Amino acid sequence: MIQLVEVHKGFTVKDKKTRKKKRIEAVRGISLTVKPGEIYGLLGPNGAGKSTTLRMIAGLMHPEQGRIEVCGAGTATEPEKARGAVGYLSTDLNVYNRFTPREFLRIFGEFQGVDPAVAERRGLHLLEKLELSDFVDVKMEGFSSGQRQKVSIARALLHDPRVIVFDEPTTGLDVLTAKTVLDLLSLMRTEGRTVIVSTHVLPMVERICDRVGIIFDGILHGDAPPREILQRWNVPALDEVFFALAAKGGA
Amino acid sequence: MRGAWLVFKKEFLELSKDRKTLFFTFAMPLILFPLLFTMMSKLGRNDAAQRKNKPSRIFLVDQGRVLEPALRADPKSFQLVPRPETELNQAIRDQKLEMALEIEETAAAKLVRQETFTLTATYDRSDDSSKLALERLRDLIKKQDVAWVQARLQTLGAPPQLAVPSRLESRNASSMALFIAKIMGSFLPYILIIMMYAGSMQHGIYTTAGEKERGTLLSLLSTRMPRNQIIWGKLLYIFAIGLLATLMNLLSMAVSMAHLFSTEAASAGTKAAQAAMESGGIGNLSAVASPATLGLSFLLMIPLGLFFSNFILLGGIQAKNTVEAGTALTPGIFVVVVLGVFSMAPGLEKMTLLPYVPIVNVSLAIRKLFSQQASAVEYLIALGMTVGLAGAMTWLSTRILNRESAIFKV
Repeated sequence: MIQLVEVHKGFTVKDKKTRKKKRIEAVRGISLTVKPGEIYGLLGPNGAGKSTTLRMIAGLMHPEQGRIEVCGAGTATEPEKARGAVGYLSTDLNVYNRFTPREFLRIFGEFQGVDPAVAERRGLHLLEKLELSDFVDVKMEGFSSGQRQKVSIARALLHDPRVIVFDEPTTGLDVLTAKTVLDLLSLMRTEGRTVIVSTHVLPMVERICDRVGIIFDGILHGDAPPREILQRWNVPALDEVFFALAAKGGA
Repeated sequence: MRGAWLVFKKEFLELSKDRKTLFFTFAMPLILFPLLFTMMSKLGRNDAAQRKNKPSRIFLVDQGRVLEPALRADPKSFQLVPRPETELNQAIRDQKLEMALEIEETAAAKLVRQETFTLTATYDRSDDSSKLALERLRDLIKKQDVAWVQARLQTLGAPPQLAVPSRLESRNASSMALFIAKIMGSFLPYILIIMMYAGSMQHGIYTTAGEKERGTLLSLLSTRMPRNQIIWGKLLYIFAIGLLATLMNLLSMAVSMAHLFSTEAASAGTKAAQAAMESGGIGNLSAVASPATLGLSFLLMIPLGLFFSNFILLGGIQAKNTVEAGTALTPGIFVVVVLGVFSMAPGLEKMTLLPYVPIVNVSLAIRKLFSQQASAVEYLIALGMTVGLAGAMTWLSTRILNRESAIFKV
């Protein structure tokens, strides 16, 4: 289970033109709960605060206010336990080019406290599902971004995490592999895992997500099943909600 | 510490996949130093041999034929040449001859009258062959002077001992081993300090700013491993690489120098070299550079290496990319070189405040260990200060790198 209570997060950036420091409120008081056996879709335009929210859930960033709990462990109070329960994937995360997928998964298994042999077996099984079995012993130097993404997915799921946090999981993947990933996420839900995904691909959300939250300017709008959101906004598709929010200025 | 060990293992695994870097870090020094030393020694020897085997070309003006017979009697050392077509000084500078020697016209008469006559030698001080010519002339005149003085004494009916009232005999209280150890002690800290820093800098950048740039640091940070253990693992790796690179370089240098020294001694066959060998001087080197000396020096290098590793780690992680990290850490090499050169300066051990200056006191302590002048208090001060510095830096880097601002630079 994932629980966010009144989470705030901001950054200070420097304006190159005015040379003044500027405060950006990336996340403004987000509260949400994702239960086991549920896929939560986090939507929003670029810079809305989706990745920051997911990074905070994954324990890579810390909220300035509020609290986050993952499987009962606070990301601030028990960071290692919370991170250990999460399988995190993002396009920001890369693989070790000099390693083969087999070596990479073995060492990451060890990082996550999994026996290397077990990690290798699990990793190979995941790579088989992601159709990368032919490349398990090839150095990743020459891999395409899609192939790297597949290895990263296997890395994120290697330690059998109870919580799955995927930031743009289908980026760089072909249609067939994207479908495999979505099927994998559905499988995770049936296994009773807690899944939260961020994406721009709205049909994907409508297809697999049980609930949806739309982030605009760091504020969470919606937090309901996709159909309910459509009814609430009285629009035929989710992208219409985007346009409506943009017209309102995110208010 | 399991996490730190795993990160350390991962870094070495990654390094083991890069054959070129492995070669340049560990194998290259083993080839480079023997090659460099052999080349330098051969070039030096060839040059010296060529100069020694060639007689010095001298244009002589000696109307009284006072020195001409002696010069002609030694054709291995001197060759009398006619006046060059160009101006004398220019001809010497152009290496058409090594020296011009002019003996005053009345020299023969002065010699008979038991007076002093003058010889004027013109040579090029910047040219080794010309300097050798002067050296050879001095030796010849010294011998000739003795002969002339003996002849004068004989004429006067005085005993030959009259010209030699005293004779100096010198005895070396030290040994060849101590001499070598003192030289080693002066340049060893310089080599150690520079290699410790330079040897690990690029690896440190690769494993910090490089990982950040490649996006693999976040993968590592998203695991359950505690942050400080990731930092310690990387720190340990940077330190180990610096230490290994230093040891490889030192080993290679030591073997090359030992080989060079034994070859030189064997080929020279001089009395001094023989005496040194006979007195067990070189053999006694092991007593000066004893396991205790080496061990105590090594003990000092551990905290110093950790201090440098922390510095590299901090610079690397704080940087946005490898270029920024390289730019930030390269000036460190100059600081280290300056400190190293400073530590080689003669008379350094007499400066009273130096044992309290960090890093330099390590050089000083190693230097004193090798020259058998070590003071326990000074050694402990250097060790304590460096351990304290390394500890403070480790605490600081762990603290700073735990901040997310170090990872996510906006």
